[in-house]
Amino acid sequence: MSDHIRIKLHPLGKTLELPKGTLLGDILFEQGVEFPCGGKGQCRGCKIKVLEGTIPPSAEDQLRFSHSELLAGWRLACRAKVETDLTIELAQWKASILSDNSDFSFVPKDGFGIAVDVGTTTLVAQLVDLHSGQIWAVRTDLNPQARYGADIMSRIEYSLNGGGASLTKAVQSGVAALIDSMLKEVNLPKISLRHICLSGNTVMHHLFCGLDVEPLSHVPFESSRTGLQILDGTNLGWDLSNTTEIYFLPCLGGFVGSDILAGIMATGLHKGKRPSILIDLGTNGEIAIGCQERILCTSTAAGPAFEGARIHMGMRAITGAISEVNAVNGHLHCRVLGNAKPVGICGSGLVDAVACFLDMGAITPTGRISQGNSLPIVPPVSLTQRDIRELQYGKGAIAAGIRILTKQYGISLGDLENVYLAGAFGNYINHASARRIGLLPFPSEKIHASGNTSLRGTKQALFNATAMELQYLDICSLVKHVSLNEDMEFQNIYADEMSFNNQ
Amino acid sequence: MEDLKQLYEAVLNGDAKASRSITETALKNGVDPLKLVNDYMVPAMSEVGRRFETNEFFVPELLIAARAMKAALDQIRPLLTARGDKPAGLVAIGTVKGDLHDIGKNLVAAMLEGGGFEVIDLGVNVSPEQFIKAVKERGANIVAMSALLTTTMPSMKTTIEAIKTAGVRDKVRILIGGAPVTQKYAEEIGADGFSDNAVGAVTVAKKALGI
Repeated sequence: MSDHIRIKLHPLGKTLELPKGTLLGDILFEQGVEFPCGGKGQCRGCKIKVLEGTIPPSAEDQLRFSHSELLAGWRLACRAKVETDLTIELAQWKASILSDNSDFSFVPKDGFGIAVDVGTTTLVAQLVDLHSGQIWAVRTDLNPQARYGADIMSRIEYSLNGGGASLTKAVQSGVAALIDSMLKEVNLPKISLRHICLSGNTVMHHLFCGLDVEPLSHVPFESSRTGLQILDGTNLGWDLSNTTEIYFLPCLGGFVGSDILAGIMATGLHKGKRPSILIDLGTNGEIAIGCQERILCTSTAAGPAFEGARIHMGMRAITGAISEVNAVNGHLHCRVLGNAKPVGICGSGLVDAVACFLDMGAITPTGRISQGNSLPIVPPVSLTQRDIRELQYGKGAIAAGIRILTKQYGISLGDLENVYLAGAFGNYINHASARRIGLLPFPSEKIHASGNTSLRGTKQALFNATAMELQYLDICSLVKHVSLNEDMEFQNIYADEMSFNNQ
Repeated sequence: MEDLKQLYEAVLNGDAKASRSITETALKNGVDPLKLVNDYMVPAMSEVGRRFETNEFFVPELLIAARAMKAALDQIRPLLTARGDKPAGLVAIGTVKGDLHDIGKNLVAAMLEGGGFEVIDLGVNVSPEQFIKAVKERGANIVAMSALLTTTMPSMKTTIEAIKTAGVRDKVRILIGGAPVTQKYAEEIGADGFSDNAVGAVTVAKKALGI
């Protein structure tokens, strides 16, 4: 007697086998589905339609959907538990990219395009129908370069020591595998794949395209080869039609690459009348501030604490990770991904936990544990003093970046109209906790979790795909890259932002 | 003396205002400036370093403690110079060519001053030529180099080679430090000393000069 359930995902045609009672949200997250409100049932971003099988409507479903929508089978994926075999349709992958808030218009074209987000840690690719804007396939995988170094500096060093070719080969074949897999699944004639657009930070851009990263290994950390790269499928050894055009989008300056250019496009930062801010809460901590007049951008080298790395019981946001922590009457309550037994803590859980401990006085404003050497959360998971210091380094870097960039822009934090959080972590972080620890000094109403803005902007690029347009001269000319440590006050502001005093 | 114990507390807790005024008063009352440095300020900074190693103190605490010590030292230094006290050594310190990180280097500079050294801070992205200039023109007998990136560490080696080529290798002791730097690397490139913490740097510097 099997207590396993089969779930068929449309429009991908993929089938998953899961234990009965699994939270659908946790599984779909691993498939690349985005949860804009962090899976709290407060929006409709993760909505699915049940085509076969049943999911009883939750309380949040009743709030978010009309009666007729519920009857038609619409449910929030984040609230759904898997009890019967199901066939479900993922609205996110069906909806046209037009459903963004940006006034992006496109001329439908024949054929297909592939957008690839070449992340330092994760590669994500989507196959897009250029006529309707619909997504026909999604793939994600770890960037194979990781074996040569977890962060961009260690990969640069590996390259300087003669490993450049290996790094290039690793990422090119990683992307090739995603593309192959999608093309096989959808069974397209090769000639209908018209464009492939890729984006990534400057180091990813250079390593993918075989450019020399040496200039990025020392002051002033600027490369001269940041422009749009046009690649040849034959040179890459990819079995594609010779009419398929392959582009790696241009970088903005320093380590800030086309991932942020794409993010600016996806959020419409460059079209706003008043300045807004885009923050990527990942290892490189990129920040862009601006509007239609001008934009400043920088990277903060925040480090991987938000992804659970260097935290002694830290882990990525997968089954077993404590993802939320609340204090009720002095007792800590946690949510664990996958409803499993807790084995560690991920970024959002870490931020919540520290916020709770600060409120309880268990951590002082300087970041010291008030009593003892560790803070138990829920057995066996605890935080050490070192863990808190790692978080302080990371949040200090980002908070300092926000403060210095707004200062250089000539505005105050309150002048910023919208705060766009890019990256998966941005979907999950609790705004109140982030504010409490001094990471995001903004009221929650201004904060918009924006998901994978790099990927979304790269998809938009598929519709602009001529070499001239893809240089994005209009946006690039608006943007100025800033080096934080050239600011006279950098050391003081960075040290200041490391503490938890500012709340 | 009670008041002087407060100087220890002021430096430990990073209270620059208090450390300045206590030092001023003590000097007016004829307390030997070296006593203030050796019996109160240096032990306070040692304790700061120890607490940083155990994660009880963090970077902000280090920086404000260094600032508090500097506030006191700024009044003491002119007195020592006036009475002809010689510094323990003359250190040319900087972050190597290609690198910008300086928080650690600044802390080491502050500690060396507290330890009785005269310090010439060359800043960041310092070329071998600038280090050599400090040796030839200012008589530095210690060159202290910092790097935070594995990609800029090789500048330490090139600087040492340049110092040799300039014919002044025997005139200086070369010390290195920074997060990716190790004792092994120091030996490999022919440096005279290495420290992985700011407090230890003073001991290493004194040892290198045989004092």
